[in-house]
Amino acid sequence: MSAAQNQTIVEVCGVTRRFPGVLALDRIEVGFRAGEVHAVVGENGAGKSTLMNILAGDLQPDEGEIRVDGQAVRFASPLLSRAAGIVVVYQELALCPSMSVADNIMMSSMATRSVASLVPREAMRVETRQALTRLGMSDLDPDTRVGRLSVAEMQLVEIARAVRQKARLLMLDEPNSALSRRESERLFEVVRQLRAEGVTIIYVSHHLREVLDIADRITVMRDGRTIETIDNDDISETRLIRSMVGRDLGTVTPWALEAPALAEDVDPVLSVENLSCAGIDNISFVVRAGEILGVGGLPDSGKDMLGEALFGLCQRTGRIAVGGTELQPLDPLGSIRNGMTYVPADRRGAGGLLSMSVAENVVAASLPRFSLAGFLRRAGIRREARAQVARLDARISHLGQRLGTLSGGNQQKIILGRSLVTAPSILVLHEPTRGIDVGAKAEIYAILRGIAQEGVAVLMISSEIPELIGNAARVLVMRNGRISSELTGASVNEEAVLQGAMAS
Amino acid sequence: MADAVSTGARTRSMDRLSLGRLLRAREAGVFIALAVLCLFLTFATDGFLTSTNLLNVGRQISLLGVMAVGMTFVLIAGEVDLSVGSIYAFSGLSTGMLIIAGWALLPAIAVGVLAGMIIGMINGLLSTYGRLPSLIATLGMLSIVRGAALILTNGQPVTVNLRNGAQPEVLSSFSYMGQGYLFGVVPMQLVFFVIIAACAWVILSCTNFGFRIFAVGGSAKAARVSGISVNTMKIWAFVLMGALAALAGILSLAFLPSGQAGRTGLGLELDVIAATIVGGASLSGGEGTILGTILGVLIIGVMRNGLVLMGVSPFVQELMIGLVIIIAVGIDKWSRRRTA
Repeated sequence: MSAAQNQTIVEVCGVTRRFPGVLALDRIEVGFRAGEVHAVVGENGAGKSTLMNILAGDLQPDEGEIRVDGQAVRFASPLLSRAAGIVVVYQELALCPSMSVADNIMMSSMATRSVASLVPREAMRVETRQALTRLGMSDLDPDTRVGRLSVAEMQLVEIARAVRQKARLLMLDEPNSALSRRESERLFEVVRQLRAEGVTIIYVSHHLREVLDIADRITVMRDGRTIETIDNDDISETRLIRSMVGRDLGTVTPWALEAPALAEDVDPVLSVENLSCAGIDNISFVVRAGEILGVGGLPDSGKDMLGEALFGLCQRTGRIAVGGTELQPLDPLGSIRNGMTYVPADRRGAGGLLSMSVAENVVAASLPRFSLAGFLRRAGIRREARAQVARLDARISHLGQRLGTLSGGNQQKIILGRSLVTAPSILVLHEPTRGIDVGAKAEIYAILRGIAQEGVAVLMISSEIPELIGNAARVLVMRNGRISSELTGASVNEEAVLQGAMAS
Repeated sequence: MADAVSTGARTRSMDRLSLGRLLRAREAGVFIALAVLCLFLTFATDGFLTSTNLLNVGRQISLLGVMAVGMTFVLIAGEVDLSVGSIYAFSGLSTGMLIIAGWALLPAIAVGVLAGMIIGMINGLLSTYGRLPSLIATLGMLSIVRGAALILTNGQPVTVNLRNGAQPEVLSSFSYMGQGYLFGVVPMQLVFFVIIAACAWVILSCTNFGFRIFAVGGSAKAARVSGISVNTMKIWAFVLMGALAALAGILSLAFLPSGQAGRTGLGLELDVIAATIVGGASLSGGEGTILGTILGVLIIGVMRNGLVLMGVSPFVQELMIGLVIIIAVGIDKWSRRRTA
């Protein structure tokens, strides 16, 4: 590598960024050199996305600065960072699906021309074809509507647009999460091609194998800090994972060591055989009464589809039985009748009826029990709601309070209460404590353990590793739609979960 | 070598004109529906396929067409404008009152059109910087502008004639705009519609302005990161809509030549939106063409004309028009899902 190529073009110096209650970035230090592929790795919540947003001009740092070619700069908007040659390709692509490939790639040059000028269609086509050919994508027709392309092709279109805008620093956010193996290969070709032309590529990814394949240097982030930046020669996945973990788990003690021993011969409450659906590929497992089973994995591992698939919200194949009765797909009502309840991750959207009262939310899933000839039995509803609120220790002012006005933790307690009113035998939870403060989290964990001790089987799907370790006696780790490892007892620890989720 | 290149280019352009390509065009579904409708009416009625009747249809659809052209811009930009019926009344009546007050033709028309543009700009500002959904903002403006028209005219009919004070030469030019015929054959309203549609087609498909309208409605995020000002483009779409609604209102008064703030253009916004949607524009933005809109307007116009010729009762006509809207848009969505 020549000296010019080793030059640092963009430097992040002591950048700190706070969100209410969270220190998202804590004195970040990292430099990006001309013509390198620089991977950024870290667990969920390590601060990777915040760092990207700051470089892209979507967020401003609270402290510290960004230097481009040694000069301190301030990106008040994405346009300014683009003008400095920094372009982000997000997972949610910024493309216009109703327009053609050429229109999208040339859009920024149209923005600088006179509004009254004619659209130079033929010139746009020619220039687009050049931009595509340069990246080895000459088979893409500039006239195709972007909405008809595959996700992989859309990503390549967005990269081509960035390159045409003379990007010096191209950030790819989880670029391969939606790509097939062949498409990933093609993306890597493009990345190598760009590197050869002196473009710097920041590659944010969970997939360590691919990171090790393509990166020149790797920066590891953890809890909002940059832990280290290492040259990629002869590093193993295990070495990276150790660097990513190293966390002070504090008070989190693996529950697996303390959990009351379950008799092995207890009949499973939930048994899943050969379950397949979009994102999940033929998995089987059981959950026994009184057990909290944790399910972990990366965002694209298929774990996020598991809850919906089990509950019957999406099309699936395979056999799912609760207490010996088989559940039919696309029949959530049947799932409830057979004793399964589901608490989705999206509390505001899918989970709770935010504009309705606490009492109404508590009974929402068991209305037949609380109505007589179609009329609601208000007194019975209030009695049940009061009982659940007391049991879950939810802090509300009165039973008529709207759910939406409660804090996240109390909302989640009420939603748990709604599930409990149905007297479930299996409780499926997806990200049960997302966006909830630490104190309320601990309370919810205690409630869940209490529920399990009453003999309910609990399936906890979560991205937060400490949450899994702290509550589940047994943890399934998913990768690429399959169960990559099953951890029990002393083997339930953070390193093992990450190993199962990321290593190949 | 040179030969090979030119053949390559030729097959490409040939492909662009091939029948298959035409059938796959966005407007194909609407066009076929229109063709079937015309064919049916040709055989089912005596008077449909005569030049008199067709020119008559052309005149009847012109005002709706002028407004639908404006609505195409608004819908492509990802917004909707419900206040067009009120603008139509307000601007038409304003111009009429000025003519009665003895103004010359052009200043009177200019004031009417300008009023429409200002109302459009208010619609645009409310829907962008005001952060109101345009459905709500323009619903409010629908009432406000209608109310303003009632206050302006004191609820009385405005009739443009000599007795009320219009200058004779101004009145004759004004009437020619609405009632006259170019070369004694083509209704002037149709001439206006054709000119406006042609200009709009050029603007929308060939100029940077049109490109930006599509970009803004297709993905505001993509437009923003490319440096296109989303708010500015949306406001311009509303201003254009306001101008065209005003012009249609003025032409309508020139044709009738009387209007009343409580009745003129009442509910017209729904006809305009319906015609535009039948023509393939999408309420979610980013989709739509002028050709499609013209076809949409024609379908509704031909349908109405045919039902009259067949002697169908006006009540049943209303019902049939509703069915056409649902069926036409339904077929369009269904066929698009299949090809997507």
